[in-house]
Amino acid sequence: MPFSEAEMPERLPVTRLAPDEDLKARFVSEAERVRAHVHCVPDAQAALATLRALLTTLQAQRAVVWDEAHLPVRGVVALLDALGIARVEGDNHAVATADVGITGADAALATTGTLVLASGRGRPRMASLLVPVHIALLTEDRIVPRLEDYIAAQRAQGLRVFRTSSNVTLISGSSRTSDIEMHPVFGVHGPLALHIVLIENLRGEMPAA
Amino acid sequence: MTPTFQQAVRTALKDAQLQTALDRGTTRSYNARLVAMAETTDAAALRRQARLARERALNRLPELLEELERNVIANGGHVLWARDAHELNQHVIALCKQHGVRRVIKGKSMVTEESELNHALEAEGIEVTESDLGEFIIQLAGERPSHIIAPMLHKTKEATARLLHEKLGMPLTDEPEAMTRFVRGVMRQKYLEADMGISGVNFAIAETGTIVTVENEGNNRLSISAPRVHVAVMGIEKVIATWEDFAVLVQLLARSATGQRLSVYNNLISGPRRPGEPDGPEHFYLIIMDNGRGRIFGTEYTESLACIRCGACLNACPVYQNIGGHAYGWVYPGPIGSIISPLLLGPTRAPALPYASSLCGACQAACPVEIAIPDLLLKLRRDLVQAGDPSLGWRVGMRVWAWMFRSPRLYRWGGKLAAWLTRLLADRAGRVRRLPPPFNGWTESRDFPVFGAPSFRERYAKRLREAQHADGVNGAH
Repeated sequence: MPFSEAEMPERLPVTRLAPDEDLKARFVSEAERVRAHVHCVPDAQAALATLRALLTTLQAQRAVVWDEAHLPVRGVVALLDALGIARVEGDNHAVATADVGITGADAALATTGTLVLASGRGRPRMASLLVPVHIALLTEDRIVPRLEDYIAAQRAQGLRVFRTSSNVTLISGSSRTSDIEMHPVFGVHGPLALHIVLIENLRGEMPAA
Repeated sequence: MTPTFQQAVRTALKDAQLQTALDRGTTRSYNARLVAMAETTDAAALRRQARLARERALNRLPELLEELERNVIANGGHVLWARDAHELNQHVIALCKQHGVRRVIKGKSMVTEESELNHALEAEGIEVTESDLGEFIIQLAGERPSHIIAPMLHKTKEATARLLHEKLGMPLTDEPEAMTRFVRGVMRQKYLEADMGISGVNFAIAETGTIVTVENEGNNRLSISAPRVHVAVMGIEKVIATWEDFAVLVQLLARSATGQRLSVYNNLISGPRRPGEPDGPEHFYLIIMDNGRGRIFGTEYTESLACIRCGACLNACPVYQNIGGHAYGWVYPGPIGSIISPLLLGPTRAPALPYASSLCGACQAACPVEIAIPDLLLKLRRDLVQAGDPSLGWRVGMRVWAWMFRSPRLYRWGGKLAAWLTRLLADRAGRVRRLPPPFNGWTESRDFPVFGAPSFRERYAKRLREAQHADGVNGAH
């Protein structure tokens, strides 16, 4: 062995977090820092109202959407129908015509403002990727403090999600680049804008991916 | 590379555009890392933790690679092994033929820079498009990346705008936002048309057979999600043992590279699309390449394999800050490149690089996995001297030096002579611009200082006398 086997010191999480810190508030401030738009709403009813307002403002015509079974609120499909927004699915060329993607979120990491999305049946990757605007519906109980906590939770479940989902993605804000003179530009190849509808008094009912 | 490194340095120092770009780019990145590391729970302890994670992985490298292979297969993927760059390219070409691939879209990968994969594919009539903004612009310009994570660091925004204008008809602008939006538009169609996506690998987690690509733009995730075939390529050293190790490494990578808490997209890929999944590639291949790394493994240079390619040592290095990446002559520039290039290519292919450092240690201080870069550079210099046949002048010079060093008297008179000579040769500003042979190598790229007066020995003797005098006075009371 090239290196002597050193005793691994107790693992220290990377990010600071005060013991009494409000996770929701921290998540919101970190997500906004990386240019996500966070809309805090009290319940499912208000979440649908916010979604309606966003879709109307965007003048959305076509949407790629996770199956309703994987979203934390019921009524998204009915809302799209009411607004005359077509749902697109299938091959990438069709999906590329969508002007908005709507997804749930499996978890959120407070100290980095991160959303965790696992691909799976009824959960197209492209809804958070090949669309100009990504709207994620997140319930407050899905917020964990840090990446380390999310991984500990997966460890407790035998790391199942990493064996069953072909693409778990950690999304921290809006796509960006610093390639030109290290000057930050937001909105590159991924979505130009990320909206997070954060629902406070609702337990996520999504089945696991 | 020997004669050309000096020439490349000279060219780089005279290139005003390069100097502007380097100054803007490295300063921003350097400061961003300092801020991001300072706000962690304990930067020193975290770097230790990251280092130990890499050491544990390297200690079990063969077993972990086999575990990774088993788990990738269990996830429905395929694993191919490549002894060298040529084999890597042959594997990719064979996969292209097997799947009828005509167009390839690529995410950023340093391994494919090593193998010059794009040329190999183009020679087979396959269209390759780099999708990372910087890599795309480099490809348009027909250049090579000059930085591990910011490939077009050597280019100013003005030069970028001119290139996009000339090659693709973009209206001229000096707004990075407008240029970025323009390239986004060009690239959309490429993702949809591509038959195969090729990506690098930042970490490969053995216990679940998951490969991770870390990026900010979304180009990588698109490249590996939209086409029907995904080929990921990695060096053997990228494998790590556990998800807990991943957690610390990926966060230090983001903080060290760009000062972010996490990069925008961390894509955790476990095989191809699963039954029932609506999108994602139908086929997943992982190609694991050695290309000289196995030769390093087990030697005193093994810790160079711990590198996670964050680029922090480049931004911190006063040499890199002044000459940029291209002068280093190969894929990996900067302090870590000065180690990896000679080790991977063989010492004779890059003999100047171990000397392209002042050994100031800024690289080691910046490294998130504590690689002792100056130590390794010194060892490489030692190897070069032992292996090579130094010139007669060098050998005689070192003899004379050793002889003078052994005699206090000779050393004193030698010092006096040298001090007198530097005063004689100095210009009005008090600097020696040009030393005579055999010392002229020193002044090729920097001035030589004039020796101070009085000399250290004179000052030391004087202080000793004063101290003794003071003791004598005190003793009288």
